[in-house]
Amino acid sequence: MFESIEHTIARLREQHYLCDRKLATVAFLALQMQKPILIEGPAGVGKTELAKAVSAALGRSLIRLQCYGGLDEAHALYEWEYGKQLLYTQILRDKIGRLFEGVDGLHEAVARLNLHEDVFFSERFLVRRPILQAIDSPAPVVLLIDELDRAEEQFEAFLLEVLSDFQVTVPEIGTVKAKTIPYVIITSNNTRDLSDALKRRCLHLFIDYPDEQRELEIVRMKVPDLRETLAAQVVAVIRRLRALDLRKAPSISETLDWARALVLLDADVLTPTLLEETLHLLVKYDRDTQRVNERLNWIAEPVQDPNQTPSSPAPVAATSGPPQQPAEPQPGDMEQRRQEHTARYFTSYRGRTDGRTGGA
Amino acid sequence: MDAAINRFVFLLKRRGARISPAESLDAMRALARVALHERDTVRAALRCTLIKNLRDLPLFEELFEQFFTLPQRATPAGPATEPPPLPPDAALAPPSTIAAQEAAGGQPDGDNAHEDALDIREYFDEAQMVTHFNSHQDPNDLSLAEFGQNLVLSRRRELLDQAMKNALQMLKARRLKNAGRAGELNFDQAVATLDAELIADAVADLLDELGDADVDEALVARLSGQLHKGIAQLPELLKRYLERELALRQDALKVARPARPKPDYRFSEQERRDMSEIVQRLCRRMRGARSYRRRISHQGRISVPLTLRRNMKYEGIPFQPVLTRYRDEKPRLAVICDVSLSVRNTARFMLHLVYNLQTLFERVRSFAFVSELAEISPYFDQLGIDEAIAAIFEGGLLDTEADSNYGRALECFHNRHLAAVTAQTTVIILGDGRGNRNPPQVWALEAIRRRAKQLLWLSPESRGSWRLGSCDMPLYESVCHQTEVVRNLQQLGQVTENLLRQSVVRP
Repeated sequence: MFESIEHTIARLREQHYLCDRKLATVAFLALQMQKPILIEGPAGVGKTELAKAVSAALGRSLIRLQCYGGLDEAHALYEWEYGKQLLYTQILRDKIGRLFEGVDGLHEAVARLNLHEDVFFSERFLVRRPILQAIDSPAPVVLLIDELDRAEEQFEAFLLEVLSDFQVTVPEIGTVKAKTIPYVIITSNNTRDLSDALKRRCLHLFIDYPDEQRELEIVRMKVPDLRETLAAQVVAVIRRLRALDLRKAPSISETLDWARALVLLDADVLTPTLLEETLHLLVKYDRDTQRVNERLNWIAEPVQDPNQTPSSPAPVAATSGPPQQPAEPQPGDMEQRRQEHTARYFTSYRGRTDGRTGGA
Repeated sequence: MDAAINRFVFLLKRRGARISPAESLDAMRALARVALHERDTVRAALRCTLIKNLRDLPLFEELFEQFFTLPQRATPAGPATEPPPLPPDAALAPPSTIAAQEAAGGQPDGDNAHEDALDIREYFDEAQMVTHFNSHQDPNDLSLAEFGQNLVLSRRRELLDQAMKNALQMLKARRLKNAGRAGELNFDQAVATLDAELIADAVADLLDELGDADVDEALVARLSGQLHKGIAQLPELLKRYLERELALRQDALKVARPARPKPDYRFSEQERRDMSEIVQRLCRRMRGARSYRRRISHQGRISVPLTLRRNMKYEGIPFQPVLTRYRDEKPRLAVICDVSLSVRNTARFMLHLVYNLQTLFERVRSFAFVSELAEISPYFDQLGIDEAIAAIFEGGLLDTEADSNYGRALECFHNRHLAAVTAQTTVIILGDGRGNRNPPQVWALEAIRRRAKQLLWLSPESRGSWRLGSCDMPLYESVCHQTEVVRNLQQLGQVTENLLRQSVVRP
């Protein structure tokens, strides 16, 4: 049980999960208010980790539902065990025969059968899928609904009843109410907007990449074997990589992987060569690799020997600076651009193969 | 407290955030469970209960700062905006609240005069403050004599700065009164020196005044000593001041300029991502996702209920399994894109849109036209975006230098490709509707509309200029189900948003 926000931070820290006050407030409120948390944020910032840490901190078991395209209620809520029903009917055939002993006429037989009809649609033949498991569990659990944005929008509708009232309606049986209120965490990678109805039922939390200080703490905590100077270098390089306009920016989990790799490689300090050799742990697209290689000097700056850099500030190459955003047009340039535009408008386009019609 | 939260929610809603009553109730329940004297906690609690959309977050932060910050010179008694602490946490709350809020509550747009005044107060002892600093609280009510007093009293440069600022304001006002040319307010060097002389004169006057007034002799002596130091630095200070003013003015100019969204010319990685995200949302609206209906087929999963039913005749022994699979709704899309000179600036953007549509939809047929119409879907299927667009612009396929002729292109589409349009097809036309006074052939568009499920026209030209020149958009608009102005990603996002709201595309 989380008693206060400070207590929440401390308990999560025991589970090696570092969180800021914002996150702890939400985690604390979710338990107090018995409301689900909806966490959005880029991949690899510790959304799923939070659920694991909370379940460990609260001493509850974790039930996980991984969402994917085509997930339906039969896999998320419940399913009837048709095979078992079929098997039971076969086995009980002679029992059923005995049931009709001394019955006159069909009407009476049907009436008698009617008395036993609900045997086959009872909870005995219900397969409990994660959500039903979570609300049916005698001890409170943590229910993690992971990457909900991967499932279809219709699937969200199935969740609404569970999330607001903690109950599941099975048409044949009736409503199954929660024995204990689960701690529900829903994560989304924000590839699409979830429906307002779902968002309304949840506390909303957005996790982004942590600041330098926190990331350093995380690296130190998760990879204690890493030397302190090396850890600082790792974080500095990662931050520079994130500043580039990459297709897939390195996340915290990739930072940690890289740090572990460096421990395995038994590295003392990060050298530009080492950085280049291990780059594929961080950069996952060919185009990104090219872009990183272009700016390798600048990225490797925090890695270089501090005695060397101040003596030679002058020979900074053109590619070594931070990435330039496409420049805003200055008021002075407008006239020139207008003329260029006019010229382009009235002259031939043949030969312009780049298809680009503007910019510098 | 309820009233305060209600008011806050009301303000958020008025600025465009969507907050339901259930969410404001949640906010109140959440606040009942946290310590109210911690600003960040309250902020986090309100944020997680009220703001469910990332787009609303900046608005929330801004309003929170404004709403839950004490006015700088408010009476110390708690104003209405401050929620009274609840019993469990009340013991440690009240004093820290105001302090914390004042610490965190700097005006976002730093009114310098205000802050300086705050700083300066620390450098005076009580007595002096009572005699000399009394009416300075109101920055509007300043007189030369008063700022002179403060100038004299300065032990720190900040105060001098403050005085300079006031003086400059006055001089500006004075100059405005006898300004030479209308609407001109320039800060060139000549004027600056003139101002310096004026200030020096004013300061000398002040010193005389001080001598006349019955102030303590020792004080006046000390003051004039300090004053000379001050005057020695005066030119440099003034220069600094003018420079700062100038910089501020330039900033203001810069900020004011980009009012209209600029057309996008090139695509960064971020924009590519944004584009595909927007198109994906559009796409979902048009076809929904994979349908939840299943159909019986030769492959797929065994459907137990259907198998049971079919095998009833074999006493429930499943001789004939029944397989089902999900039905895919098949969206069809036909895109007709103008690539002529008049829309060349946006044509690249439009083709990018077409390319994205084609990668997402199963059946997209895209056509480009200037005067002739040609199908370009195979280019997008086989080539990457850059090569495909280059191939189209190079002109092997179409004569890209001809005058655009919408009537002819529509007629051409009607005659040759109308089979591409069925009752499930959404037709999107990208172009400005400027047919160079050729016959608009509205009937062809009507024929397309009758066959299509939906006809959508995206024009890069703003609605206001449709009436100018030889633009046939007003004619075409009445035929289309919907026409929208789209010339960059931002507007495409808005259009998508509107489509989602109105759910026009998918009835």
